[in-house]
Amino acid sequence: MNEFDAPEDDPRDLVARFRYIYIILGLTLVIIFSRLWYLQIIQGDELHEYSEKNLLKETRIRAPRGLILDRDGNILVDNVLGFNATITPQYASRLVDTANVVGKILQVEPEKIIEDVRASRWKNGPFMPVIIKPNLTLDEVFRLKRIRIDQPGLNVDETVMRYYPLGPNGAQLFGYVGEVSQHEIEDYRKKYHTTKIVQQGDWIGQNGLEESLDPILRGHDGLSYTEVDAHGRESAALNKALLDLKPQPPVPGHNIVLTIDEDVQKAAMDAMLHQNDKIGPRIGALVAIKSDGEILAWVSTPSFDPNEFAQGSVNSDTWDALTKDPYKPFMDKVIQDHYSPGSTIKPVVATAALQEGVVTPYTIVSAPGKMWFGGRWYHDAERAGHGNIDIMQAIEESSNVFFYKMGIQLGIDNIAKYAKAMGLGQKTGIQVPGETPGLFPTKAWKMKTLDEPWLPGENLSNAIGQGYVLVTLLQEALAYNTIATNGTLYKPFLVKEIQNQNHHAMQEYKPQIIRDITKPNDAGVLVNKKYLAFVREGMRLVANGDKGTAHWWKIPGVIMAGKTGTSQVVSFSADQIHKNCFNRPFWLRDNGIYLAFAPVDHPEIVVGVLAEHSCWGNLGGAPVVRDVIRAYIQKYHPDWIKTKTLVGKSRPTKPILTETRITHGD
Amino acid sequence: MATDMQVEERTFFRRLDWNFIAVVFCLNIIGLITLYSATHGVTASSAQNRLFWLQIVYLTMGWLVFFGITLVDYRFFSRSAYVFYFLNLIALALVLVMGRSSLGARRWLELGFFRYQPSETMKLVLVFILAKILSKQTNPEGMGFWDLVIPTIVTLVPTALTVKQPDLGTGLMLIAVFATMVLFVKVRTSILAFLFVVGMVAFPLIWTFGLKPYQKNRVLTFLSPSKDPRGAGYNSLQSRIAVGSGRVFGKGFRRGTQSQMDFLPERHTDFIFSVLSEEHGFIGSMTTASLFLFLLFMCTRIAAQARDRFGVLVGVGAISILFWHIVVNISMVIGLLPVVGVPLPLLSYGGSMMITAMACLGIISSISYRKFLF
Repeated sequence: MNEFDAPEDDPRDLVARFRYIYIILGLTLVIIFSRLWYLQIIQGDELHEYSEKNLLKETRIRAPRGLILDRDGNILVDNVLGFNATITPQYASRLVDTANVVGKILQVEPEKIIEDVRASRWKNGPFMPVIIKPNLTLDEVFRLKRIRIDQPGLNVDETVMRYYPLGPNGAQLFGYVGEVSQHEIEDYRKKYHTTKIVQQGDWIGQNGLEESLDPILRGHDGLSYTEVDAHGRESAALNKALLDLKPQPPVPGHNIVLTIDEDVQKAAMDAMLHQNDKIGPRIGALVAIKSDGEILAWVSTPSFDPNEFAQGSVNSDTWDALTKDPYKPFMDKVIQDHYSPGSTIKPVVATAALQEGVVTPYTIVSAPGKMWFGGRWYHDAERAGHGNIDIMQAIEESSNVFFYKMGIQLGIDNIAKYAKAMGLGQKTGIQVPGETPGLFPTKAWKMKTLDEPWLPGENLSNAIGQGYVLVTLLQEALAYNTIATNGTLYKPFLVKEIQNQNHHAMQEYKPQIIRDITKPNDAGVLVNKKYLAFVREGMRLVANGDKGTAHWWKIPGVIMAGKTGTSQVVSFSADQIHKNCFNRPFWLRDNGIYLAFAPVDHPEIVVGVLAEHSCWGNLGGAPVVRDVIRAYIQKYHPDWIKTKTLVGKSRPTKPILTETRITHGD
Repeated sequence: MATDMQVEERTFFRRLDWNFIAVVFCLNIIGLITLYSATHGVTASSAQNRLFWLQIVYLTMGWLVFFGITLVDYRFFSRSAYVFYFLNLIALALVLVMGRSSLGARRWLELGFFRYQPSETMKLVLVFILAKILSKQTNPEGMGFWDLVIPTIVTLVPTALTVKQPDLGTGLMLIAVFATMVLFVKVRTSILAFLFVVGMVAFPLIWTFGLKPYQKNRVLTFLSPSKDPRGAGYNSLQSRIAVGSGRVFGKGFRRGTQSQMDFLPERHTDFIFSVLSEEHGFIGSMTTASLFLFLLFMCTRIAAQARDRFGVLVGVGAISILFWHIVVNISMVIGLLPVVGVPLPLLSYGGSMMITAMACLGIISSISYRKFLF
């Protein structure tokens, strides 16, 4: 081995070049050090968090929404179990294949699935499951579960869905739930000053009580953590000490007990839709209020099925039909629609006239078929007029000319003062969103808004509820309740009690009095109770007197008092006014309104009905009101109902008149 | 006789560089600890558990190779370089014809009791033959064009055969070894400038025509791995998460969530350094990286003390094999380079790499053993 060293084998010239190797090794160490420093020290916390997220599938456990119950504890809005098909983008390694297989089973376009999943991956991140189809049938659930193992990322998630047992009945009142939109999230965050309240994918109340009571109904979602491997498979074997995260159980929302009476509510919907007469199903609204302001029934028609919305299964045809319906199914006509009250304003004007001394209860006034004022004729619905009548007869027969005269003498400001004191033309503050205030005009209002002086003739039209006056059905019901209760304006309310999930009361709500108009109050009117009694007598005659405009609809043993009203949807000439309303196109027919309370001497319930395009307040509204009051009495005072018709103290009964007479009744 | 034997023995043990051996041994231990963690994760099967024990077998074989080569005079490799080279070329060609296929690549020859990977031995054989050729090179101006022709051909033939398998990683490794040795010997500046220009022109051409789609994809996803976290960039991204999430002190032995839960692919081979970094943090990863560079530093010092030109060059070649493997692997793991299938010497699981690495270290040891011998 010991050979001689050849001269060309002298390595000394090469040794000098080793310095380059040392430099490269040094640089390498510096680069590796810097990079490790950057990753592990500077980015360490961030990457550590990411590694935990990698491993943890954070599952939100949806808190069940609180139930909505009626006053007897019957469930009006319920929770039921449903199934959604979802795909989690992160784990869908064979998305196209999965989309094809799943699309076939669920009858969904595979392209749409792929697009949805890809879009959601960008928008919501790779771990948020994307709902492919909500509300699966059991058959679909079984078929998906069978193929789930072969399709990574596919899952069948159980969800709690909202269920509305009454269906379209009260749909506008209860509202429905829907997935929160991006702009609703921002609204919520501004409103409640927290980012935690709603998140992408949450379902929130989107209308009616579901919306306004959402903070009470919605609980706090819980979180559970499942440890998964890189393929998204759950790993029970994982050493729990790797991570220390405790699951947070969901906190259910509170239950809400409403003042609504399911039986009355059902009777109300039934009465609106199933009147066996020539008008047929009523379009409009119904509200039934207990005399202390508790709302018993609340109906708006036409309606829609909120279950389709809550289950996310509204198809575009249904949606189109609903949004294009000229009779506005989504509008809650109890409070969101205002209208000219027509003759239903007369009890309020009568109260003002009596209290202001324009007439006494015994003053006889001439009430012909028309009246000349300010250079034009003002007409009565009754071409022949009513002859010489007192104020009670004027209410009974709904004389326009009588109230034209009251209007002239009172002036609009006086009428407005009493109307507003009784709750008209202003929001009632009910806990349903979207309430419209209506309008009760004054001279100052007209000057301010229209920049025109009040014309004397407008006193006439507004005194019979035409002109500028706009009210909601709920306002009118409250005003009538004020007359019924001898002067007390109650605040209407729907929420009777808030309960925890075990149905223990947490908060109860009592009736609230806004004002008593027979005592000194903030509205500046002071009504003598005896005048209210005269008004009530007039209203009793409406429902019972032989000339009463609504006396064909009675309940044996229970005496009702009410007032009919018909309001034109467009202006007509004198001839057209007297022309048979039913000959007009449907959408030009007058709106019929009827409100009544019972029993007359100790009223418990006020029911108001707006029957759009029904031509007559009595024909359109009175039978519906009668049916609802009867349903209430049958439930709470079945003993009151007698087979024999009781009419009242002072006047005798007359046989039921022919229908031709009826059409002239208002 | 007995006394003579004693003297012989004492000299053998004295001549060994024990500091050098200690550093290698430290890295072996670090490797085994990390491998145990990587093969005993929650999701690991008993087949994976077995890899740890196999690695101990490979390691033992590696040390036998180390001491075997230490005892062999390295000039033996100079004399037999051509024989080795041609035998290895034949083996590489045979792989293409009848090699074992795995994951679309044919890299092994089945030799009954073990799998022989000719491209792996080619790294060493190339070092021998290049060292032999380049040791004749004494021009102080550096190598000219004609001086480079033979070394280039000698390198390109096995490289082409390797890339054809396809094994881009090993192919690049052969070129890296060639480049290191040639540059070490010194190349004329004019040629370097010329090559630079040619490279700038050739790169787009190679990119367009020379690379397979998956190879392009690797480079592309390396440049922006977060574009498709489940796709080709996934490995790179998960590795970076693993390394970074270790922070300063690491998550602890067998506590690395990335490595224990299958997020890291190839965690016992190419991504073993991620496991180490995740579980032992900056302290562990930096210690290991420093040990590697300290080892290379020691190797370099030994090579610089070689008695002859072949010794110096074979040392530099062995160092370059180790250096490029270490640098490319760690750079890949920490996201400085795209994912190429290059294992980490001494740490990664696998017999071939273990034997090659220990053989390289054995060559260094052999040089060290003989530095005063002549």
